[in-house]
Amino acid sequence: MRADVAHEAHVLVIGSGGAGVRAALEAVRYGDVLLVSKSVAGKGGCTPMAEGGYNAALREADSCVGHLEDTLKGGAYLNDLELVQVLVNEAPDRLQDLVRWGAVFDVTETCQVAQRSFGGQRFPRTCYAGDRTGHEMMMTLLEQLRASDVEVLQEVTVTDLLTREGAIVGAAVLDRTGRLEVIRADSTILATGGGSRVYDVSTNSATGTGDGYSLGYGAGAELIDMEMVQFHPTGAVYPYDARGRLVTEAVRGEGGILRNAKGERFMSRYDPERMELSTRDVVARAIAREIQEGRGTPRGGVYLDVTHLPAKQIEERLPVMLEQFLAFGVDIRKEPMEVSPTAHHFMGGLRITPSCQTTVRCLFACGEVAGGVHGANRLGGNSLAETQVFGKRAGEAAGRAPSLGQHPEQRQLDLIERRLEGLLSGMVNPVSVERKVQLAMWKGAGVFRTGPELTQTLTEVEKLGRKKLHAASKLNLAECMTFHHLCTTAMLVLKSALLRPESRGAHVRTDLTQAHDAANSPYGHTYLSQHRSGIEMKGGKP
Amino acid sequence: MRVFRLNPAREKEGKFRTYHVEVQEGARVLHVLHAIHAEDPTLSYRYCCGTGQCGSCAVRVDGEPKLACMTEARDGMTVEPLNLPVRKDLVVEMEPALAQIAPLLPKGQAECPAQEQIAAIKPLRDCIECLACVSVCPAMEVAEFTGPTAMRQGMRLALDPRDSGGRIPEAIRAGLFTCTTCQACWKVCPKDIQIPGKAIEKLRALANREGLTLPRHLEIVQLVKETGRTVPRTETSFLEQVDEVIEPAGPVKATVGFFVGCMYNLRLPKTALDAIEVLKRNGVRVIIPHEQVCCGSPLIRTGQLEYLPTLQGKNIECFTSRGIDTVMTMCAGCGSTLKNDYRTPFTVKDVNEILTEIGIEPPARLPLTVTYHDPCHLLRGQGIRDQPRALIRRVADLKEMAVVKCCGAGGGTRSGAPDVSRALALKRDEEIEKTGADCVISSCPFCEFHIGTFSETPVKNVTTLLLEGYRKKDEGKA
Repeated sequence: MRADVAHEAHVLVIGSGGAGVRAALEAVRYGDVLLVSKSVAGKGGCTPMAEGGYNAALREADSCVGHLEDTLKGGAYLNDLELVQVLVNEAPDRLQDLVRWGAVFDVTETCQVAQRSFGGQRFPRTCYAGDRTGHEMMMTLLEQLRASDVEVLQEVTVTDLLTREGAIVGAAVLDRTGRLEVIRADSTILATGGGSRVYDVSTNSATGTGDGYSLGYGAGAELIDMEMVQFHPTGAVYPYDARGRLVTEAVRGEGGILRNAKGERFMSRYDPERMELSTRDVVARAIAREIQEGRGTPRGGVYLDVTHLPAKQIEERLPVMLEQFLAFGVDIRKEPMEVSPTAHHFMGGLRITPSCQTTVRCLFACGEVAGGVHGANRLGGNSLAETQVFGKRAGEAAGRAPSLGQHPEQRQLDLIERRLEGLLSGMVNPVSVERKVQLAMWKGAGVFRTGPELTQTLTEVEKLGRKKLHAASKLNLAECMTFHHLCTTAMLVLKSALLRPESRGAHVRTDLTQAHDAANSPYGHTYLSQHRSGIEMKGGKP
Repeated sequence: MRVFRLNPAREKEGKFRTYHVEVQEGARVLHVLHAIHAEDPTLSYRYCCGTGQCGSCAVRVDGEPKLACMTEARDGMTVEPLNLPVRKDLVVEMEPALAQIAPLLPKGQAECPAQEQIAAIKPLRDCIECLACVSVCPAMEVAEFTGPTAMRQGMRLALDPRDSGGRIPEAIRAGLFTCTTCQACWKVCPKDIQIPGKAIEKLRALANREGLTLPRHLEIVQLVKETGRTVPRTETSFLEQVDEVIEPAGPVKATVGFFVGCMYNLRLPKTALDAIEVLKRNGVRVIIPHEQVCCGSPLIRTGQLEYLPTLQGKNIECFTSRGIDTVMTMCAGCGSTLKNDYRTPFTVKDVNEILTEIGIEPPARLPLTVTYHDPCHLLRGQGIRDQPRALIRRVADLKEMAVVKCCGAGGGTRSGAPDVSRALALKRDEEIEKTGADCVISSCPFCEFHIGTFSETPVKNVTTLLLEGYRKKDEGKA
């Protein structure tokens, strides 16, 4: 019996951030493209919020090799070398695409895209548009999307990827009224962004619930390095309901200084050479340590101070920060900000080839949902570049893939429908369960981790994931599915964390000691799928 | 918090429901909505980034469009959707308006613009497409107009050397000349984007360079070059009826230069004379240079800037040459123009400000209920809202209209888009009628003249009302 298909396309793109839209714009050169977005297209995810910049080796004095080396070093040498080569070599070209499409980057007097310093890089190669580079890129991409033939479905939630004989043939989505719809596609691209919303304190927008990790895992795909969660060192502390919101690295790039409650510029004890512009994992741990050891502010943060900078510089280079803090009663020209680490980015994700092919046929992934580019710690500015480089590659590969004309299986659709019906008669409010997962993750899988805590948290999260959620009406089904994705993502983080018997990059086990440093680690990626899990040893897979 | 609820699938009319929830210190409206949703999962609302960057969560808070995630929550607030078609509760249809925002059509070469071009475009690029501006635009209600953010985008594209061009004819077709420059869009923009000044007026200036200014607008410039005025003389003007210096009845409390403006000078001279009487009565010496000319606002609003410096120079000179340090306007448009579009060595104040500052002799009360129409260039252009109301209340009972909106006289629409102008005046009249007031008071000659054309309710200036109060007082004494 054939399923009722509401939409058909050659390529289905799930996600409307920087990677998703870039992928759609590329794929539409080869055939029909349908882009589905959980939010209003272009408003969701972290791209529109990204403030720092886009790394690319553009100047004579810079080099792709330099960019490569910085990225590998920053990633604690866990990165996929081939993927990094692709990133650094193609970042300049993808930037040119954006410029050609009208991106309004800051420019130098000689009409070159301006670049500034950013953490962990030997050369100032971070292109920027004030302190709202992500917004600038997103508006540029949205303009091109509106001019293109890409069909866009807004505010729909993907519940499952549909499979037939081990290949992806489309997706099931809940539309705005809570009705289930079936999409058939020859190729599907996951560009769903990250999952930092599994944590209580996070920079992410509401869509950062890890939907793509859950969808890929559910379809049998393999994920690598899911334990590698970047805690951005500087998230705002006040007010409580807006905790964790991003205080961009650019603040430190412009000369911002970190001080503990005693007024000490403490980075001198953790990285005297690079100080505030050390890599994010080092700074995050430094701040967490200062707070843990009692040198934090009453609200539980440290101070980030730009009061020594001219007001005009703050107004011109950091207007978003100025505006946000003013809305919350702090004038950063006159007083320091209070900041503390906040869950920000997933370095791990779906295992991909350089053409963004996942381990499942007809399924591609690009952007934060994919793993391997950043290794164990991401450099600021590499993520926006990643969206464009791999977005284009995913769109190209999916666009060129053959039209197999396969249809979803009715059996899978029946299971999905039954699950949704079950939610309507469930018992537990998803909002309260989600909260519990987030608090458990923040406590048990944060900046500093131990084996026993990870194990205990996994048990807790799995238990919460088995609760019979209640959807008050069909309109609430999407919320319940989102919680399911969030919970699955949390479980993937915890399981992967338990697979790595070392501290590496952003992942720190305070209950382990090791003789080796990152460059000499015998360990490679952790890997996790429905069929197998483990950790690679250097020199090949086990 | 009172929250608007409507499920169009079930109800025709929405209603407000009051919720009581507890939130943390510093919580935003969005967090209150989250708390409500935790208890009542049927509430639908939009949000995403939570930090004022994505434009998903715009709603009306106590009647004003705001981003829910950036607006501090207080007890007793009312939250309702933007004034756009409602999908459910606080969620409005965004796609039709977003589809009006034109994309850039690349010329092909990836030439990086120069620093000055980037600097000009950047403020226009701050837009997060929240649609607050669209929800308050009066012209969009009565005309085929793509609206404020679409026009903003038109200007952004017109400034970009990488765009294929043709944006000016496109903007004109999209309703560029239907905008009354009321500034409602700018004042609700969470990113403070100055759409009237930086998009509409600049697009009209580019239209002028391409020879596309409306013929009726070209006539205005012709007239001002010949006569120094943008209104033709059809009766004895105000300036022809007054001396250069008018001494007050009693001791001098203040001295001001008076900038009368074309409309009061040539169309409503009697009103200006009323104002002079009120000022005389209250100790204000008024100096009226006769060589003053049009403030130039019609030129700025219609994009015809070439002759503007000549007008500006003459106007500044006629006051500085007399050593005047405070210039008073009574036309809201002239006042806004002198305050915002001129660099003057003297201070500029509206008559309502002057009268409030010096403190007026109490008039007698009149047995009237009046309503007050806020001139856009007084309310938004100069931030003057309370002073006229306080003055009115000295004389009569004031019944507010439910809606504050442009009357449709400004931005060159009376001459350039008369259907739009008329339709907005009729809408304004509807609101006036609803109050049942005997009279509508305003403080701008355009509003007074325009509303007077389309309403049966008598229209009066604030100073005329005060003068009537004084006359009644004097009769009482006699």
